[in-house]
Amino acid sequence: MSIQWIEQVLQLTVQMGTVYLLASLGEIYSERSGVLNLGLEGMMIMGAAMSFIFSVAYGHLSAIVMAAIIGALMGFILSILTVDMKLNQVLVGLALTLLGIGLSGFFTFPEIRKNLLLRLNPSLPENMLITQQAEKLQEVLIPLFSDIPILGKMFFSHNVFVYFSLILSVVMWFVLFKTRIGLTIRSVGENPSMADSLGVNVYMVRRVSTIISGVFASLAGAYFFIGFHPFWREGVTAGRGFIALALVILATWSPLRAILGAYLFGGVETFQYRLQLFGLGAQSPYFLAMLPYIITIITLIVISTESIKKKLGAPATLGTPYSREE
Amino acid sequence: MTKTLKKPYTIKIGRRLHYSRKLSILTTFFALILAFGVAGVFFAIIGLNPLEVYSYIGGVFTSPILLLESLKRAIPIGLAALGLCVAFKMNFWNIGAEGQMYMGMFASTGVVLLHVYYGLFPDYLVLLLMILGAFFAGGLWCSLPAFLKAKMKVNEILTTLMMNYVAMYFVDFLVYGPWRDPKGYGFPLSIPFPDYSKLTIIFGEFAYGGLLLLCVTAVLVFIILRYSKLGFELRIVGESIDTARYAGINLSKVITLGGFIAGGIAGIGGLTIVSGIIGRLRPRASPGYGYTAIIVGLLSALNPWLILPVSIFFGGLFVAGDILQATLKIPGAAVEMYQALIFLFIVIGEFMKRYQITITRGGDS
Repeated sequence: MSIQWIEQVLQLTVQMGTVYLLASLGEIYSERSGVLNLGLEGMMIMGAAMSFIFSVAYGHLSAIVMAAIIGALMGFILSILTVDMKLNQVLVGLALTLLGIGLSGFFTFPEIRKNLLLRLNPSLPENMLITQQAEKLQEVLIPLFSDIPILGKMFFSHNVFVYFSLILSVVMWFVLFKTRIGLTIRSVGENPSMADSLGVNVYMVRRVSTIISGVFASLAGAYFFIGFHPFWREGVTAGRGFIALALVILATWSPLRAILGAYLFGGVETFQYRLQLFGLGAQSPYFLAMLPYIITIITLIVISTESIKKKLGAPATLGTPYSREE
Repeated sequence: MTKTLKKPYTIKIGRRLHYSRKLSILTTFFALILAFGVAGVFFAIIGLNPLEVYSYIGGVFTSPILLLESLKRAIPIGLAALGLCVAFKMNFWNIGAEGQMYMGMFASTGVVLLHVYYGLFPDYLVLLLMILGAFFAGGLWCSLPAFLKAKMKVNEILTTLMMNYVAMYFVDFLVYGPWRDPKGYGFPLSIPFPDYSKLTIIFGEFAYGGLLLLCVTAVLVFIILRYSKLGFELRIVGESIDTARYAGINLSKVITLGGFIAGGIAGIGGLTIVSGIIGRLRPRASPGYGYTAIIVGLLSALNPWLILPVSIFFGGLFVAGDILQATLKIPGAAVEMYQALIFLFIVIGEFMKRYQITITRGGDS
């Protein structure tokens, strides 16, 4: 248990947690406006797949941009189906998740990927066409701060995604709770007919919030792939989108509390990998691999107990479509 | 200068008060066509001729041998979907059929191992105990999230889904560890099941024995949902929790019991994989049948009788996936993608059932 070991674990905790943080930030906005985006996992894995293909073809910037675009597109589809067509949000979300998993597996299949990459960038060398990994995003050390023991590694030695996610949490918290825009979003989620009568375009607010959640989920996937774990395999996100959904409840729909929750889950996952390295799970890593899912279930149970639930207060119209005539 | 103005089109969306069976069939049919169309676009993107892909898929349903193969895969899918019928009827969004199937596989293999290694139970009881074990294991696995939902309103979508991963890793642990066949050259497989622990031979294979289980279960599910007190209560709970509460229904009992039955049936689906199709336990024995079952359940509108034909269709898609992989080098994910598209368009089809779109020209309407 050297200091390096602790530093490394904490650094990985933050890096892993950023996946959850990014995904839950967007989801908080859509849920606050009353739309449950259950397609989070599908959007996340599509973001990861896009970032894989485009980072190999053109580099990181295009990967991030494309991930954001695909996320916005999927969020837009979800918003049309749930906000405008008022379809069951659970079913639409599940369908988009399955679609994302299917499409990502389809486009990253070696033969197909090779074909796609060649058409995107014909000058790619042969080894890039068959590679299963991408170049990892460079870490940007913040001068002076990154030398602080423990904290330096934990907060000041990461790639840009991690810094952005932290800044965004604060900004998004501020917007949600201290500005008119945030008030509008929350009022749409709490009492859409009142908001409507006050002249708020309920549908537009919900649409935009849902698109935001799509972009964030997809960026979370892109970060997970090019910023944390740049080795592709099918189903690479492994249910992390759903863990982020649980995290949103744990964070009681607040972007600031989401930071703590995200690092908690990031910590559990890192801990699990570390224990495997220690040989603790060498005989059977399977029980350790279950850990994040079990912790999620336990978390869901704990936050559902009566006493805690009273303090939580989910958006009142979460999951229910709004129509004027009613 | 005068300009003749064309009267604009007005699109009106009105609520449809009731819809006919014909409309329902029509929307389902369109959903399938649209899913084909969109999947075709994706095939075209990667430079394949969609028609060629379709002809392979269509070939599955015209060849007797491949159709029989589809039927084989339809068995676990159909059983899981029957379980979901029960769950969805009470608005319990069970996404965990996959995990419940793994628990069914675990229990049935457990019974076989107890028998082979320790000589417990006489031969003729083994299969019966396996079925019971699979039912209980799957049932308990599902009744936990059901109980949590009933008692504490814990979101069942997330819990059932998380439990899928737990069940899958648990089976991984067993076949890579204590349950690995000592004579299996180190492969992660259980011992092959003795014949008396396999299902009845139909069409010359053990795999089709599950067909009996599937049909019997379909009848039972129909009876439970239509004629039993529990079925009645399930439907009330599904329509409105408040109504159910005012009617004096014991919510936690009904939801937990419904979850138990739903998971139990999925568990039997798991049994048909290990005791029929494969004949032993191996990791990742289900290629996502439990998720496909969700789509099957919805497509058949939770009607137990429709489950069998719809499952055969989806079983056929899995077969087509294997064929496409071998011939055109398209990944199995193409099937997942197509299934998801069907799912999406069926959900969108709900809109067509609920609303009426009329396009008229001119101001009058």
